[in-house]
Amino acid sequence: MRSDAPANDLPLPDEQLRDMLYLLKLARYVDERLEALYRQGRLPGAIYSGRGQEGTHVGTVFALEPRDSLFPTHRDLTAQLAKGLDLNRVLAQFWGRIDGYLRGRDGNSHIGDWDGNRTYAVMSHLPIAYPVAVGAAWAYQRAGDGRVAMAICGDGATSNGRWHEAINWSAVQRLPVIWVVNNNQFAYSTPNEKEFAVPTIAERAVAYGIPGVRVDGADVLAVFEAARDAVERARGGGGPTLIESVSLRWRGHAGHDPAKYVPRELLEHYMLSKDPVKNFEDRLREADIVDDAAITDMQARVEQAFEEAHAYALASPFPEPGDVDKGVWVEDGYWTAEPGRGGGTEAG
Amino acid sequence: MASTTVESGAAGHGAEPRGKRAEDGQATYLIAVAEALWEEMERDERVIMLGEDIGVYGGAFKVTEGFLERFGPDRVMDTPIAEETIVGFAVGAAMEGWRPVAEFQYSDFMTSGFDEITTVLSRYHYRSGVKTPVVLRAPSGGGVRASNFHSVNPEPWFAYAGGMKIMCPAFPSDAKGLLKSAVRDDNPSLFLEHKALYRRIKEHVSEDAEALIPISSAAVKRAGDDVTIVTYGAMVHKALEAADTLAGRGVSVEVVDLRTVYPMDEETVIRSIEKTSRALVLYESFHFLGIGAEVASVIAEKAFEHLDAPVMRLAPPNHPVPFSPPLEDAFLPQVADIEAAVDRLSAW
Amino acid sequence: MTSIQMPQLGETIVEGTILKWLKNEGDEVKADEPLFEISTDKVDTEVPSPVAGTVTKLLVAEGTTVPVGTAVMEIDDGSGASGNGSSAPEPAAAVPAAETPAAAPAQPPAMGASAAPPSPAPQVQPSGQPAPAPSVTMPDRGPRSNILSPIVRKLAHDRGIDLTTIAGTGEGGRITKADVLAATAAPAASSGTVTPLPSAGPAAAAVMVAPPSMPAGQGEDAQPMSHVRKAIAGHMLASAQQTARAWTMVEVNVDRLVRLRAEIKEKFQANFGVKLTYLPMVTRATIDALQQFPLVNSRLDGENIVTPRFVNMGIAVSYDAGLIVPVVKGADGMNTVGIARAIADLAARARSHQLQPDEVQGATFTITNPGPYGSLVSVPIINQPNAGILSLDAIQKRPVVVEDDAIAVRSMVYISMSWDHRLIDGELATRFLARVKHNLETWDFAEDLGL
Repeated sequence: MRSDAPANDLPLPDEQLRDMLYLLKLARYVDERLEALYRQGRLPGAIYSGRGQEGTHVGTVFALEPRDSLFPTHRDLTAQLAKGLDLNRVLAQFWGRIDGYLRGRDGNSHIGDWDGNRTYAVMSHLPIAYPVAVGAAWAYQRAGDGRVAMAICGDGATSNGRWHEAINWSAVQRLPVIWVVNNNQFAYSTPNEKEFAVPTIAERAVAYGIPGVRVDGADVLAVFEAARDAVERARGGGGPTLIESVSLRWRGHAGHDPAKYVPRELLEHYMLSKDPVKNFEDRLREADIVDDAAITDMQARVEQAFEEAHAYALASPFPEPGDVDKGVWVEDGYWTAEPGRGGGTEAG
Repeated sequence: MASTTVESGAAGHGAEPRGKRAEDGQATYLIAVAEALWEEMERDERVIMLGEDIGVYGGAFKVTEGFLERFGPDRVMDTPIAEETIVGFAVGAAMEGWRPVAEFQYSDFMTSGFDEITTVLSRYHYRSGVKTPVVLRAPSGGGVRASNFHSVNPEPWFAYAGGMKIMCPAFPSDAKGLLKSAVRDDNPSLFLEHKALYRRIKEHVSEDAEALIPISSAAVKRAGDDVTIVTYGAMVHKALEAADTLAGRGVSVEVVDLRTVYPMDEETVIRSIEKTSRALVLYESFHFLGIGAEVASVIAEKAFEHLDAPVMRLAPPNHPVPFSPPLEDAFLPQVADIEAAVDRLSAW
Repeated sequence: MTSIQMPQLGETIVEGTILKWLKNEGDEVKADEPLFEISTDKVDTEVPSPVAGTVTKLLVAEGTTVPVGTAVMEIDDGSGASGNGSSAPEPAAAVPAAETPAAAPAQPPAMGASAAPPSPAPQVQPSGQPAPAPSVTMPDRGPRSNILSPIVRKLAHDRGIDLTTIAGTGEGGRITKADVLAATAAPAASSGTVTPLPSAGPAAAAVMVAPPSMPAGQGEDAQPMSHVRKAIAGHMLASAQQTARAWTMVEVNVDRLVRLRAEIKEKFQANFGVKLTYLPMVTRATIDALQQFPLVNSRLDGENIVTPRFVNMGIAVSYDAGLIVPVVKGADGMNTVGIARAIADLAARARSHQLQPDEVQGATFTITNPGPYGSLVSVPIINQPNAGILSLDAIQKRPVVVEDDAIAVRSMVYISMSWDHRLIDGELATRFLARVKHNLETWDFAEDLGL
């Protein structure tokens, strides 16, 4: 591992590259652990694995600043973590605890942390956040302060009318927004060829009058560079960009789905040669930015972070049932006061 | 964001709605709505408007005529025909501190933005604690030969979604005072302007820019002793007309105008029933599951021991609003229908 | 497991009292075997078991009054499932409730066993509940006269108004809120919209005028009024308050009847299986008088006088719980033998609590018979909505002035009638009683007795 090294030939400084790898490994580990706990019946609710797509999530979000906003989907936990969400509170949300970001009002990766990390609370009706991102981007354009909005959806959501509405509108007003499509090749069980007739999603950008790029989601840095360019364009008043980042969804749509509709050879190919985490680790090893010891240490930190967060989640009380009707209206003050902390905890 | 206060003497912009009042100083319902918007935009720079054809054209009903010239295209935005994104945009802008007022050309078209209204706007605060102070304005209701797709009363659809305050004023003063309250409220709201009243109803309207009507407050528009008609919107005027005739026959009718249909002012309704012990619930939304169904249920639950007769309802059937004048007249409750219903109720 | 509930014996009944458990926990029961005795506003009766099985639990104590539908007993019928309403006795199945709003509800009316004048048992209108009680049975003034809206009940309760005294102006004769308010504003007597009804009202007034409480002290015992006692109290007070009662008496020479009875009573019992008393003969004579003077057989309904063309004769019968008035239906079609048998049958079943609800309602006139207890003169309370009640007191040998101014010893009796001056005047009452007297003194009952 280099020390006091000159600048590498990669697009980010060493420290950020190591952070990037840590995030990738953390995301991978969290994803695997959550699935295991879910299958053991120890995790309530649902899980939506983003495994295999971490390159898209980490690569795009690394192009954002904390003041920029992110509009993710349920499959984008990795992006949420990259944006800065605290794993302790994330897991508290998964277990329905009061210390989760949404105080138990929503579960799993339907997380939001608007005032903290400018992360929009996920909804299921995709791409339901795209229109909202238009409004936020308008606000940044109006303020003229260089902030941008980034919205993510999957290939499936590109078939929905709102996808068109939002991109078209943002193009008309040249709004500072980055439209990310995490093309993992399946909309639940429906493959790309049944979703759209053009060869790529990125080429649709031409019709809206905005730039469109297609990148390999297994290459974190390629994704990052595409996102960085798009963010720079947006901050400079150049309007929106469409980024199609291609990967494969390694797991089912949700925890219950064995995804037998994904061809075995395709899956093996992606897992063997297009693993964004492993590929990035190899690349950093090659560039002498990490070594075995660093990797071992990193993996230990990842596992410790998860175990601590898991313990934090289970130690957090449930919300007070008597509060169930509060917070519909702003004036009842529920969301600006300390919430009621309800009864005990349960093993998980 | 800075806000400005307009001196009361600032009236006089050529296009200012107040200048469009009749010579006797009375304002139509439409002018009252326009005055409310104008005054709130003068008062608070965070108030912005968006909608189809509201700028250059001045709105389908000319409510916003002159606004573009006064407030500029940044605050009076003509949008693409993209209702989902109109709503989503408003939410995104509201989350960034703006107070958007979005116009739908007809309330019928709110269904084109249904998902963003019912999934995003109505639920976001309960889920996340983030305020979304959005006002959705739309002309609603029938009786103007506008047919199937320009006559709907959508309030039950959206009242069911919860989380949004829904106003259906009947008088210019109420329209102005309530709309100003809606703009200032931190919660989302739907403001349904009955199009049959726009130019038909006028009255003296306060010029005090701080004359607000509280949301969720009903008003007794005519006091009486024998029968209460609980109603809202255009039906208030028909109820008052029927009450005049009935008074000649010795039946004293009290007319309660809900003004806000959700959350409902139950107390005023119950107080009236305590006085008269007989209730006719009159409404223009569909009979089955319409707003009046809920009113009737509130009376039955909370004023049962004051009832001297069954709660009766008068409302259109659950099918589309027909065009041909005799059909539409048969569809909508008419004054004679109201009189007959009150007669049945008082004879019971 | 089957849960047995307090049955609803009559559509206006809301509660019942468990008088006696006939089965105890652990007892085997057959289907239709009596489980317990109950007392309601209407009648006392036994409740038969809907299932066969073993009694597992008695849920309430004897003497307890519970709302209709309350589970009172559990029977293990081997079904395993826990009980529900479907296994409860069918409401009113055991006792066909022939009740209509028109008919006064059957009431066990009352005669005190004390020295007080043995007043007849008015078979009165509503239960003795305060006005708003849901069990109020309203006089039949139209198809909706028995519907009391929530506000009408509340106002009546809050203001202590007897709804049975109010004529409804609503559709179908329903009492409206306005009617109740008018009744509050103006006393019935002076209000055009409020018409006192002939039928007795509930005993709301009794509650209102009750003296201050004086609990039992040293040397005194207190026990709650029985269900029947409370009902009787309400009905008596209502009648006393709601009728314009007057009273007339005649003296009757029954020497011939006494001699006739002495002659044939054994043969009569042998032939017909019942004892021959004077009551059937007086009843027969009274029915004839009622036919001669139908107004005495009539009742008030609002502002109408309703005159039946038949006689349903109420006979006051004392029994262990108090007093009840079973009715000899169609008594005008019976000879004295038929009347004797009917009275004997009803009295026996009244004393064994076997009467059906429709056997204690619908009287058009009532006879009370305190004579056997020794009373010479009685002033009975009218059994509403009857126009009069006749009292047969003790037959006694007395010295009387006979023809030619001679003094002789004769069997004499005072027969009197309390009558409602709203319907009847003194002349009519007197002529009616004179007709009864004439019949008893002149008829040859031997023939009517089939001997």
